[in-house]
Amino acid sequence: MLASVLGMSGTADFAWAFQSHPAPEGLYAHQLAHVFFAASMGILTYWLHRNRLSNQSGWRLIQVSCVLFIAWNVVTFSGHWVEELISDNMLQGYPNWNQRIALGSSPAAVFYYVLKLDHLLCVPAILCLVLGLRSLYKQVLAKAETPHE
Amino acid sequence: MSDTYPMAPVWFVDVCGSAAMVVLSFAAVWYARRLVKAQPANAMWTYVLWFSAALAGFAVSRSVGHIAKRCLLLLNMPDVWVALRPYSGAVNTLAFVVVAAITLFFQRVDKINWGIRQDKHALEDAGREVMRLNRNLESLVIQRTEELSRSEKKYRRVFEGSMDMIFILDGDARFLDINQAGLTSLGYAAKEDLVGVLDFQSFFVHETDCTRLMNDLRMNGFVRDRECRLRSKDGSELFVLLSSTARNDGQSGITGYEGIAKDVTARLLMEKQLQRADKLASLGQISTGIAHEINNPLGVMLGYTQLLLRENPAGTQNHDDLKIIEKHARNCKTVVDDLLKFARGTRTNKTPIDVNQCVQEVLSLVSHQFELDKITLATGLDPHLPTLVADGEKIKQVFMNLLMNARQAIKKSGTISVATTTDPDKKSVRISIRDTGCGIPDELVDKIFDPFFTTKPVGEGTGLGLSVSYGIIQDHNGRIEAHSEVGRGSTFSVVLPVTTGAPARSASLSEPGGHST
Repeated sequence: MLASVLGMSGTADFAWAFQSHPAPEGLYAHQLAHVFFAASMGILTYWLHRNRLSNQSGWRLIQVSCVLFIAWNVVTFSGHWVEELISDNMLQGYPNWNQRIALGSSPAAVFYYVLKLDHLLCVPAILCLVLGLRSLYKQVLAKAETPHE
Repeated sequence: MSDTYPMAPVWFVDVCGSAAMVVLSFAAVWYARRLVKAQPANAMWTYVLWFSAALAGFAVSRSVGHIAKRCLLLLNMPDVWVALRPYSGAVNTLAFVVVAAITLFFQRVDKINWGIRQDKHALEDAGREVMRLNRNLESLVIQRTEELSRSEKKYRRVFEGSMDMIFILDGDARFLDINQAGLTSLGYAAKEDLVGVLDFQSFFVHETDCTRLMNDLRMNGFVRDRECRLRSKDGSELFVLLSSTARNDGQSGITGYEGIAKDVTARLLMEKQLQRADKLASLGQISTGIAHEINNPLGVMLGYTQLLLRENPAGTQNHDDLKIIEKHARNCKTVVDDLLKFARGTRTNKTPIDVNQCVQEVLSLVSHQFELDKITLATGLDPHLPTLVADGEKIKQVFMNLLMNARQAIKKSGTISVATTTDPDKKSVRISIRDTGCGIPDELVDKIFDPFFTTKPVGEGTGLGLSVSYGIIQDHNGRIEAHSEVGRGSTFSVVLPVTTGAPARSASLSEPGGHST
């Protein structure tokens, strides 16, 4: 059944009861997911601020993590967009360690090259999350060890 | 080649970053799990765990995709990557959505959690308050009980110590409680004889008083200073000023009454005596004036009558007529003399006398006649009476008047008791003459000392006997008390003060009541 569904998805001419989803829809769905992710991180950042949790170092680090994730989403969203703009001949060679890119051919190539380094944002973002949780965990342990009056 | 740049740095960052993402995301999950374990009830940590898990899923899907892509391309397997690529992208997209959805969902959860925490705090506060109240309950009960006891004692002292009767009745006017003054007034020794046994209405002398009182209580809820006559256990009557309120609970009507009754019997008797004394004083003043005005013409009439009698020998018509005039003139003079005695207009010769001897002398005069009339004489004379300074003849006249009145009150046969007593301080002597006659109605008791008041048929009495007696006793600074019950008899008591010092001859012309002319 799954095979028939997957098979039919590539043959739009035979679909009467449902609409077909050709290639760009996947990118659009992915881009919308980035927007949704960024928006949720924005809401979380605001919520932490409004509840004054960001006064605590642990939550403050998590807040920073949210901001970095927002930035990462912006970068990746832009990266996907720029990737669609550059032509295949800007990348030269087989896609391995030796592949090169012609940055001088188009400004988009430069953006593409920079935006491809998105891990420089998402790794610090998740690092901040880990540090924040670690700080909260230590805080909880310290509180648990404090003798009750 | 000079315009191209290597993609190796991008590849390096991509692979290393992906690996770091996987490691760090699992580290985040680990810390989040520790937090949940440390505080399982904290919804925030649950969210953090879900968030971290979703991020781990995102990191794994993305990193696996990126690393696999690089590996497959390095292994010259681009076709495989092309086949896997859609699934990697779809899972990656799904991971974004899950992370975002968890975050948004948590906002709602947090609101609910906040409300629950508030309720929890409120419950904890309430629990602490209940614990505190429980701890303090016993001491509070003790404290309140002591306060109540103090208050009860305070009001009990007021209740029991009152000199006036205080009573509490139920809805049917039965006694629920009464103080000692009330018990004494009503002639009872113990509350048990009264409380729950008798009702207040049974003590009223006049049923109409009771009916009117209860009606007013029902209508107005209270009565103030109502004059009532109550009858005590021994039959004596009390005059009371009664104030009472009705208890009304609003649903079942009157549930009881509380009241205070002030015994004003002594005060009323005193007022009556004063009124009587005042009235007799006025009558005495009038009588004195009349007696003096009549006495002189009567003297002249008697003198001339006696002169004419000498000139008219006995047996003649004129002599007989003059005798009749003389007789009636003498009767008038007797009345006038009695009036003067009542008004204390005659001289008294006070000497030390033995009251018992006076009584016995009078009794010896009447005893024979009483014996014939089937009247029993009973005497109870105190042998230790002090000597009085008084006009013995006039005192005997008083005793004679009282004994004759007692005799006339007993229609056929009966007993007359004469007793003499002295008070514990030896300051007065009481001579009581009690008969078992018909008694005197209440409405006439106040009039018996009035001059010319008599219940005897015309011609049988002048109505001056008690008036004269009253005047004589007043002249001796004493008093006459009369107690009578219709059908059971009367008691007249003469109370004379014991005076010391030399006897004096009195020529008092003052009126009864002590008013001087």
